[in-house]
Amino acid sequence: MTDWNAMTDAEFRKEVRQFFEAEYPEELRHLSHRPKFAEIEHWHRKLHAKGWVAPAWPAEYGGMGLNAAKLLIFYEEQQRWGVTRGRDMGVQMVGPLIMKFGTQKQKDYWLSRILSCEDIWCQGYSEPGAGSDLANLRTRAEIDGDDFVINGQKIWTTLAHDATHIFMLVRTDPNAPKKQQGISFLLAPMDQPGIDVRPIMTLAGETEFCEVFFDNARTPRENLVGEMNKGWTMAKALLSFERIFIGSPNLAQNALGQLESFARGRGAFDDPVFRDRFAQAALDVEDHAALYTRFADQLKRGETLGSDVSMLKIWVTECFQRLTELMIEAAGPDGGALGPLQVGNVGVDVLASFYKARPSTIYGGSNEIQRNILSKAVLGLPG
Amino acid sequence: MHPSDQEDLRLLRESVRTLFDRAGGVGRGRNLRGDSVGWDPKMVRELAEAGVFGVTVPEEHGGLGMGLAAGGVIAEEVGRVLAPEPVVTTVGLSLGLLRRLCPDHAKLAQIVGGETVLAVAWLERGPSGAPAEPTCRFADGKLTGSKAWVAGATGAEGFLVAAVGDDGPVLTLVEATAEGLSVDRRTQADGSAMGELSFSGTPAQELARGAAVKDALADAINDATALAAAELVGLSERALEITLDYIKTREQFDKPIGAFQVLQHRAVDLHIMREIAQAGVREALALMDGETDTRARAMLASRAKARAVTTAKRITRDAIQMHGAVGYTDEYDIGLYLNRALVLSAWLGDDAHHRRIWFEAREEEGAAQ
Repeated sequence: MTDWNAMTDAEFRKEVRQFFEAEYPEELRHLSHRPKFAEIEHWHRKLHAKGWVAPAWPAEYGGMGLNAAKLLIFYEEQQRWGVTRGRDMGVQMVGPLIMKFGTQKQKDYWLSRILSCEDIWCQGYSEPGAGSDLANLRTRAEIDGDDFVINGQKIWTTLAHDATHIFMLVRTDPNAPKKQQGISFLLAPMDQPGIDVRPIMTLAGETEFCEVFFDNARTPRENLVGEMNKGWTMAKALLSFERIFIGSPNLAQNALGQLESFARGRGAFDDPVFRDRFAQAALDVEDHAALYTRFADQLKRGETLGSDVSMLKIWVTECFQRLTELMIEAAGPDGGALGPLQVGNVGVDVLASFYKARPSTIYGGSNEIQRNILSKAVLGLPG
Repeated sequence: MHPSDQEDLRLLRESVRTLFDRAGGVGRGRNLRGDSVGWDPKMVRELAEAGVFGVTVPEEHGGLGMGLAAGGVIAEEVGRVLAPEPVVTTVGLSLGLLRRLCPDHAKLAQIVGGETVLAVAWLERGPSGAPAEPTCRFADGKLTGSKAWVAGATGAEGFLVAAVGDDGPVLTLVEATAEGLSVDRRTQADGSAMGELSFSGTPAQELARGAAVKDALADAINDATALAAAELVGLSERALEITLDYIKTREQFDKPIGAFQVLQHRAVDLHIMREIAQAGVREALALMDGETDTRARAMLASRAKARAVTTAKRITRDAIQMHGAVGYTDEYDIGLYLNRALVLSAWLGDDAHHRRIWFEAREEEGAAQ
């Protein structure tokens, strides 16, 4: 077993970079959509054989056991080369939760199946009445003999139609004094008559989100993870690393590179107004990277990050949107055209980038919710 | 940066902050507005004793040799209390030139020791009032022509003047009392003054000549530009603190106005801008320390100033709005921050100017590769 953490940062970066550059399929680079498993199965097999499916997991569970510094490098290289996250809900979300709160039996059964993608997971958190106000969720789970019986509806469930299992937050005590109490964390198989999945067509013309309806769906009681009615605190405990990852500069850096080559090809830099707006956006990306480095250094020193890290997400997602809007401007009369636009001998799909940027200010806690959090937790404003 | 360097910077910041706070904080600068010297000479000596002016001067010439990153720490503290002393002009410009061109000149040691202050003059005003190509001549030991936008001219005991010589650029030294020199004050929004100098056969001492003068001037201007950015970062930080304190305590409709979401989100946006500016400007200064290529240094300085100006303008203007009517009075300190931001933004180029410079340099760099 390689001790990756013993390598220098530079050696490790080189190792990761070489593997991606040599092995990652060219046609899967910088995908503008979240792929279904069949599309990336070949790549997943390679990653699995290499033992690199779960960089953050401890080696005892089949992960790479990377520390924070190495993990950041791994993700930076992944994003730099445009390597898809793949079907990583199991690795990112449910696996760590099972490791932390699950029974030995649950660990033995589920974890290796996550790595091999024998089980493919989707996340059932949001509901029609519980988006930013997630604790408002109403999907009920009631004990019936050896099972939970589930009734309700989840929405914005990414790739639910390509998942074998769902992990979800459900209400198990509707009479709890606070809405954050009375929520439990439950696993359930998707392939059963009580579950109906309906894909949602997005503005981008894709169907990566779904609605999931539960009508007396069942899951064994042993699929409860952690304590009954403690699901909210458990799910929240997982989010701290996610918060810097979601604010990493890569999405914006890639969009900047795309904007520059497209704008140059189309002659947009002849316009001094465009030049200024480009310079502004480019410097927005550069200075964001400086702040990101400060937080990353904090992580590398072993410090935990505070709520202020969500600044990164607010700034970079809004920056990402401005960059894709500039791309549309540079496209001129082609600004409404679907599909790749030719510049020189490459095609740039301007609208695909634009659409990809839109939900970034909504997911992972909308930017408005992030501002509420910063206002109270960081600036100490009242109310 | 090495952790022990970080510790040195922290100690430096603490000692400069304490010095300014003990001297009277913002109130001190308020009382010096319109002063004939423009600053407190006693304070200049105290700053010198703390090592402030020599921060980027090598140790063998009596400085601290800590580099621009440390200069930025000092400039941030100057910005926080709106100190009127000529710190950035001295560290960036006068010492920036002397340490590069004539580190053994007696003036360098005197400036580092707080015994004298020199202002630097290189820009000229054309007939339209806008900056123009320099024509001020130096020949036979005498200067003829004019210079404009000379910061710190009011209390300076002399001037470092960049002039056109017979065979290229020359750096000269002129005493403030020299014959044939007149200094015209242009009062600025913050109560300081810029000097407009005119020379008619004014005696001057030649310090250096040739391409070295041009390069040193470019480097010193880049240093000063980045340090002015750091001063704006410190200014923005304090202006936002004052504003946050205000909206936490000012009550309307039976609650602190900071409880209203529209102000909360606005405050968060200002906070993020400030954090981005602080990180960007500090990174630029640290990178300039390790960079010798003039174009790369110019790009870093422009990046820093563009960011700092955008941030300071937005924060100080929103700060007035969030204070409401009292923000428009001279009595409240927040207006002093707005006024200082106006002056520091215009000096050495504003954000639009520096984005243009940065973009052009980036294009040249791309073409060169």
